[in-house]
Amino acid sequence: MANRTILSRFAAAALAGASIFAASAAFAGEVTIWCWDPNFNVAIMKEAGARYTAKHPGTTFNVVDFAKTDVEQKLQTALSSGTTDALPDIVLIEDYGAQKYLQSFPGAFAEMSGKIDYSGFAPYKVQLMTVDGKVYGMPFDSGVTGLYYRKDYLEQAGFKPEDMQNITWDRFIEIGKAIEAKTGKKMMGLDVNDAGFIRILMQSAGGWYFDKDGNLSIEGNPALKAALETEQKILQAGIYKPAAGWTEWVSAFTSGDAATVTTGVWITGTVKAQADQSGKWGVAPIPKLNIEGASHASNLGGSSWYVMESSAEKDEAIDFLNEVYAKDSDFYQKILVDQGAVGSLLSARSGPAYSKSDEFFGGEPVWQNFSDWLAKVPSVNYGIFTNEVDTAVTAHLPDLAKGANVDEVLKKIQSQAEGQIQ
Amino acid sequence: MATARTGGLKRYYDVNGWLFIAPSILLIGIFLIYPIFRSLYLSAFTGKGMMLKFGGFANIVRLWNDPVFLHALSNTIIFFVVQVPIMIVLALLLASVLNNDRLKFIGFFRTAIFLPCVASLVAYSVLFKSMFAADGVVNSALMAIGLASGPIGWLTEPFWAKVLVILAITWRWTGYNMIFYLAALQNIDRSIYEAARIDGVPAWARFIYITIPMLKPVILFTTIISTIGTIQLFDEVYNLTEGRGSPANSTLTLSLYIYNVTFRYMPSYGYAATMSYVIVLMVALLSFLQFYAARDRS
Repeated sequence: MANRTILSRFAAAALAGASIFAASAAFAGEVTIWCWDPNFNVAIMKEAGARYTAKHPGTTFNVVDFAKTDVEQKLQTALSSGTTDALPDIVLIEDYGAQKYLQSFPGAFAEMSGKIDYSGFAPYKVQLMTVDGKVYGMPFDSGVTGLYYRKDYLEQAGFKPEDMQNITWDRFIEIGKAIEAKTGKKMMGLDVNDAGFIRILMQSAGGWYFDKDGNLSIEGNPALKAALETEQKILQAGIYKPAAGWTEWVSAFTSGDAATVTTGVWITGTVKAQADQSGKWGVAPIPKLNIEGASHASNLGGSSWYVMESSAEKDEAIDFLNEVYAKDSDFYQKILVDQGAVGSLLSARSGPAYSKSDEFFGGEPVWQNFSDWLAKVPSVNYGIFTNEVDTAVTAHLPDLAKGANVDEVLKKIQSQAEGQIQ
Repeated sequence: MATARTGGLKRYYDVNGWLFIAPSILLIGIFLIYPIFRSLYLSAFTGKGMMLKFGGFANIVRLWNDPVFLHALSNTIIFFVVQVPIMIVLALLLASVLNNDRLKFIGFFRTAIFLPCVASLVAYSVLFKSMFAADGVVNSALMAIGLASGPIGWLTEPFWAKVLVILAITWRWTGYNMIFYLAALQNIDRSIYEAARIDGVPAWARFIYITIPMLKPVILFTTIISTIGTIQLFDEVYNLTEGRGSPANSTLTLSLYIYNVTFRYMPSYGYAATMSYVIVLMVALLSFLQFYAARDRS
């Protein structure tokens, strides 16, 4: 059944892309790609390039590795200065920033609707790259979230893995207190200067800083309010190890000081890097907020590939992305196993790697679980000012810790955000 | 010779002189003068990214309604008011101590105190970050000697984060200022001190009534340099807080906010240019005040 779906998709896409295939014989250029993270995006793009070059020997790939902020800064500088020579052919953009680039630099990115069959991708991903009904970009990795937990700590505190399945955040805090009482370990690491956790909670209930039309939605946003209330409960319960910045946050759970970590699937590689903890970890769906529309699925981060309109190798670049990222199910199996990348092409989920169990997680079929949750991630409009509102939220997290009234905090966030987004 | 120069020869020297400096004038014009006027022009525009439209004074109005800008401004002023005097006094004291030739290992101390300002900005920020982490060496040491009952949130509590930034820039730049004072101190004629000593003037009075007045031009110079540096403060806060000015914007400076408005947030180039001019005006005004305060009244 699943195989038939893939076949029919292939057929449909092949028909749709027939005109491109006709032209592809004449391709002979170097495609330059900007991205970050050598162990993840760069490695994956090199693999994708190798696959394409094997079939189209004329095309070569130059994958350039920068830090993420450098990619963003270089892209923004080149786009503003209007010197298209300085731009790559393909660039990686994090989902939160996609609309910002698409809307503030119209015409800079190549439209791909009509050339690529988007029906096979997770809908929330496609919506992020759509402006006025036109789709730009190739959906790439997902930041579908999970609750990674230490089975051994749970056991010491008298819990079973089943106790972590489909719980609420209130229950999570209760378990956290029990674990700390029995083992002395904190329930989680929390970067108190980062709003990532708030974003996970908010999106799990289908909310964001903006409504579906992109208007600021802070006061009177039930999902954001519930998210802030939950963070406040966690801060006040003291079940977290405070972290300042990424490195400290990561070391909270890799060092064994924290019993759980709730974040995007891309952290799997980092968790698994602690070989001595093999078999001690499990993954559950994230806990749920106590409001209407709340779910156990959410997203944090994730990014997609965009082709520059000014690129001399534009058609070649689009054809490459289409052939590998929209059709090659086998490619997705390889990057899942090698890099732990959960792509957003839903049909790739039926591939063999996804059904494999993982010994590190005690033989659980973690990939299958993640891809099931991926299909359930509520679709929201990230808007164009996520970074700005994020700053407004983090500015008031210390107040929350001190017990500030959540409605008052929402009011303050609203007024700070209004001052910044114009 | 120069006064005897006449007619053709004078013109010859003039033309040649201009020819020699023409390349640098051209480069300064393209890369310095033009951007200055261009950014002034840009500051009159509003809009997202390249979608610019003329806004007149809209950006200046926006400044007063932007709580984050006002927060960044007040942070910058706090850093300036607290840090610059501490650093100048410290540098002056260190310089007068290290000017004493009878001190042992004087070369070592001079080098050690100057060394921080040649350290890499990023490296020292990263080092400070790990030293001042919740379970870093500083907290462990403070707790071990009983100065703190629990770990201090150097990077997670607004007050301590400001203290940390002040500590960091003081550590880095005190030695730099000290070198200027040392150089100036060695130019003060020793016979003045000798005369004072013979007259029975105590050491503290020699410092206040001889050293400081003699160093006045250098003090003025270092104060202005430090003022400019503090108002443009960027690298330390960027690296200590991963560009966020956290916690709760307590370490957000004007420069960091300008960077964020340009590269991290929805690009708003006109607004960023307007804020840059706020820095220019502040530096100009403060330098003028310092010159005015230090003017010769004789």
